[in-house]
Amino acid sequence: MISLHLPALQVVVPLISAPLCVLLRRGFGAWLLATVIAWTAFAISLALLAQVLSDGALSYKMGGWAAPWGIEYRIDRLNAFMLVIVAGIGALVMPCAYHSVAREIAPERQHLFYAAFMLALTGLLGIVITGDVFNLYVFLEITSLASYTLVALGADRRALRASFQYLVLGTIGATFILIGIGLLYMVTGTLNMADLAARIPALQELRPVRAAFAFIVVGAGLKLALFPLHLWLPNAYTYAPSVVSAFLAATATKVGVYVLMRFIFTVFGARFAFEMMPLGEILMVLGLLAVMVGSLVAVFQTNVKRMLAYSSIAQIGYMALGISFASVNGLVAGIVHLFNHAAMKGALFLALACVFYRLGSVELDAMRGLGRRMPLTMATFVAAGMSLVGVPLTVGFISKWYLVVAAIESGLWPVAVIVLVASLLALVYIWRVVEVAYFREPDGDAPEVTEAPAAMLVPTMALAAACIYFGIDTELTVGVATEAALSLLEGGP
Amino acid sequence: MIEAMPPGLVLIAGAFLLPATSGVARKALVLALPLATLGLVWSIPDGPALTLVFLDYTLTPVEGSRLGRLFATAFALMAFAGGLYAVNQARVVEIAAAFAHAGSAIGVAFAGDLVTLFVFWELMIIGSTLVIWSAGTDSAYRAGMRYTLVHLFGGIVLMIGIIGHIAETGSVTFEAMHADSLSRWLILAGFLVNAGAPPLSAWLPDAYPEASPSATVFLSAYTTKTAVYVLMVGFAGEGVLVWVGLYMVFYGIIYALLENDMRRILAYSIINQVGFMVTGIGIGTQMALNGSAAHAFAHIIYKGLLLMSAGAVLHQTGKRKCTDLGGLFRSMPITTVCGIVGAMAISSFPLTSGFVSKDMIGQAAGDQLLALVWFLLAAGSAGVFLHAGIKFPWFVFFQKDSGLRPPDPPWNMWAAMSLFAFLCIGLGVYPAPLYAMLPYAVNYVPYTSAHLVFQFQLLLFSGLAFFLLLPQMKRTLTLTLDFDWFYRHFLPRLCRAVASRGSETRRRVEHATMTRIRLVLEPFFRFHRPEGILARSWPTGGATVWVAVLLAVTLVIYYWQGAR
Amino acid sequence: MSADVPKDDAHKHWLVRTKTIRRLWILFIAALAVTVLFDFIVDRHGRFGLDATFGFPAWYGLLTCVAMIIGAKALGTVLQREDTYYDHE
Repeated sequence: MISLHLPALQVVVPLISAPLCVLLRRGFGAWLLATVIAWTAFAISLALLAQVLSDGALSYKMGGWAAPWGIEYRIDRLNAFMLVIVAGIGALVMPCAYHSVAREIAPERQHLFYAAFMLALTGLLGIVITGDVFNLYVFLEITSLASYTLVALGADRRALRASFQYLVLGTIGATFILIGIGLLYMVTGTLNMADLAARIPALQELRPVRAAFAFIVVGAGLKLALFPLHLWLPNAYTYAPSVVSAFLAATATKVGVYVLMRFIFTVFGARFAFEMMPLGEILMVLGLLAVMVGSLVAVFQTNVKRMLAYSSIAQIGYMALGISFASVNGLVAGIVHLFNHAAMKGALFLALACVFYRLGSVELDAMRGLGRRMPLTMATFVAAGMSLVGVPLTVGFISKWYLVVAAIESGLWPVAVIVLVASLLALVYIWRVVEVAYFREPDGDAPEVTEAPAAMLVPTMALAAACIYFGIDTELTVGVATEAALSLLEGGP
Repeated sequence: MIEAMPPGLVLIAGAFLLPATSGVARKALVLALPLATLGLVWSIPDGPALTLVFLDYTLTPVEGSRLGRLFATAFALMAFAGGLYAVNQARVVEIAAAFAHAGSAIGVAFAGDLVTLFVFWELMIIGSTLVIWSAGTDSAYRAGMRYTLVHLFGGIVLMIGIIGHIAETGSVTFEAMHADSLSRWLILAGFLVNAGAPPLSAWLPDAYPEASPSATVFLSAYTTKTAVYVLMVGFAGEGVLVWVGLYMVFYGIIYALLENDMRRILAYSIINQVGFMVTGIGIGTQMALNGSAAHAFAHIIYKGLLLMSAGAVLHQTGKRKCTDLGGLFRSMPITTVCGIVGAMAISSFPLTSGFVSKDMIGQAAGDQLLALVWFLLAAGSAGVFLHAGIKFPWFVFFQKDSGLRPPDPPWNMWAAMSLFAFLCIGLGVYPAPLYAMLPYAVNYVPYTSAHLVFQFQLLLFSGLAFFLLLPQMKRTLTLTLDFDWFYRHFLPRLCRAVASRGSETRRRVEHATMTRIRLVLEPFFRFHRPEGILARSWPTGGATVWVAVLLAVTLVIYYWQGAR
Repeated sequence: MSADVPKDDAHKHWLVRTKTIRRLWILFIAALAVTVLFDFIVDRHGRFGLDATFGFPAWYGLLTCVAMIIGAKALGTVLQREDTYYDHE
């Protein structure tokens, strides 16, 4: 009985927990509830993935209302996979949050933090699971508002400004998506993705459809921080509380990429987007710029969190590049990198959370000699960092491989070269941290620090282990990504 | 289907195990792991022994072949002797990294497909970089970084080549191919970077001598010789390799003649020796390939021996420059004798391993009537004696009396040296076991009177040239510029000139030409530095403008697209 | 210790005494001569003409080595630097 309603529970369970967190009024109680809920959501997402993998795509009618009138939740391989990524990161971040939040956020606000965190999780899961574009917008707003709050809770005063900027630009992005949805509703009279996909081909010569396409792509571009729409991201990630950076970096932008993919392939269709509209060229140029600019800027940063933020912009460029090829291998690269990047960025930001918990700083200078003082944390950082570089037997290599295969299949050798040269840049910026941590002596007045608490260390190491495990056993990730890519290219939900 | 596990995995897994052990257990492990690997190497039958599915390909991570087994045997032997040499002195991280490096090299020697090859290829880079860094000095750290970047660049070239090749042929099998398309040229280039071929050869003499005494011994064996192995499998008979190889032969000699650092002399001589092998691969006949394979095997042993003796000197005296050394034969007789045996072997003296291996390559050139190649190889052989055969032992153990009286090194070091010295002579006296391992049936008799007379005349008169021109060979406190000048000196200075604004006028006078380049590069750096336009925090209004611009541009494009 | 050893040589290792070195030179030159003389006995059957000439390995080895040393010195005048050249990087 319950298994029939898993799609609804996936969203409703974390949603209900948010007000409960507020009612608990205690940091610890709220944390405990949030952790339990996050792991429940993770379990639900795994069950859904198993169900989809064995039975194929499933449809759920919210409240029993049939599709064009009611809201339909439609789960295929792509969004089942995304649910696992989002809920999995949420579940792994929560155990870390207890210590980290206790250090970074005032006690009287901690329960509010967990409430906002649960709302953000709800929103992200809702965006991914829904098959209704207006419902998608609603969840987008829920997650955005919660994210602004979470960023603003950062201890640094600059977090407020970063949050404000995030709010302004995020609202513009959401508004653009709403305008696009409105235009589509105007010409098609439906909000259901499947219905839209069926009706748009006949209407694609209409200007409102084209305008809707432009608004939605730019709006989603803002949400996923596609260069040059990334300007909100570095400050938001740098000044947000450590666990928020980890959670948002690993999930929020990925969900943005998912929204873009869903609209391009499912709603508008690959033929419209890539043959009638020059989306492939636009995404390729912006993706390549993102890869190069993001990596180069990251090389020059002295705040490691900020460095990773710019690295995220480069990594999002890889995903955009993967989509731009509009080929199976390109999409596999994009989809598998959603997972891979979530694992490695999650591990890297959580490792920084450990560092911040002990040092109170993530400036490069403060991390001198940390390799000896926090060996496990830094070893985790190195493992995830090597993954970012794309060393064989790590997840980064898998993404890089598919991206280069896709580029060479399309005869775009220079693109392959840029992708690989940028991976050397990743080595350079990861290397700057390794050099400081392992080859520099700490200052004389540096505080005595020890390893981070196990509650923080274990999830961090689990993510780093995932970076290596899924770099060797690619059956699940590449398998799901390949089938998702094939069904996306076929069109229709 | 799992019938065999990659033999290299024993060493790689052992590398992770070593730091967890201590005392006698660790020492036993250091010696046992390479021997266990050697046993596994010989248990793999010819043909595919393990297949698995990775990504969209069916891979053959373990495929036995005569050639692979020969190289893997040499690699495992080197791991054993190197482990013995290092067991009491080196840091555990160094031995662990060296074993990971050796295991990856063995992995390459059994790789039946290009993906496996690439994976082990990249793992080798990581292992070797850690081996260099384990010296713990600042110069080793920086040399290691340069080393990594050069090799990762080579890895990029190789990866694009491999993916292009797979896209063109649909096959991942690693088999003989020809440099007839861009992707296969890239594969060849990627292989050659590791072989120490021009123009990037400087990574080798730059990085190896900065490692610890024992680390250099390990390093000398694997990277270049795996490159020789993959070139042999992939590009046997590729004509361009003849000339690449000959260039390396003379590059090694000339630079070694000018060098003052004893281990850098031997590093240049690695490139020289690999040049002989690459030339043999380029000739591509069965005789030439047998010669290259035999020479690679012999080379791993005598070069290891030479670097062990140099390492013993460095370990005992702390000095590495010929100008500081000399006269050590008085107090280090074992090291001296072992060094001389290695020097005779590298020079192909009769009764040493070099004599029974290297001249097969010359013989092949003669058989094919490649006159110019044959004469150049003969000159190269004379030059080997000059730069490594005499120069190294002379300046380190004889020449002037430096006044240093260090004793011979600890027992494990001289035991390792003695083992390799024994093998150098043993293979020279009784080459049959080596010949039996070669890829093709051996139709070559090393000990003929003509060969003996030829070799004695050539070597002794090369020696005469050395002693007659000894005043010209006087060691000076110098280094010799190489291609690495571009990335060690020119580019950093360029970057600094661009990045710092101080004393600009002086610089403009000094580098009149550089200012022009700066005009091009400055905007580039200006944008990406922390205060640069691409890196700074944007005011919200400015950021919004970007959104508007992008929306406007896409709208215009889409409308225009529709109007078309 | 024989009586005809020069005074400053007495404390030296026997291998580096002036007399030993002179003997080593004599031995070396004798060996050079013998290897060349073997050309009368052994047919080295050259393939390219030039390599069949009398004492080819001897004169070829000597000349190419001299050429390589001179070539290296010439290149060194252009490319050699103080060995602290890169240290200030």
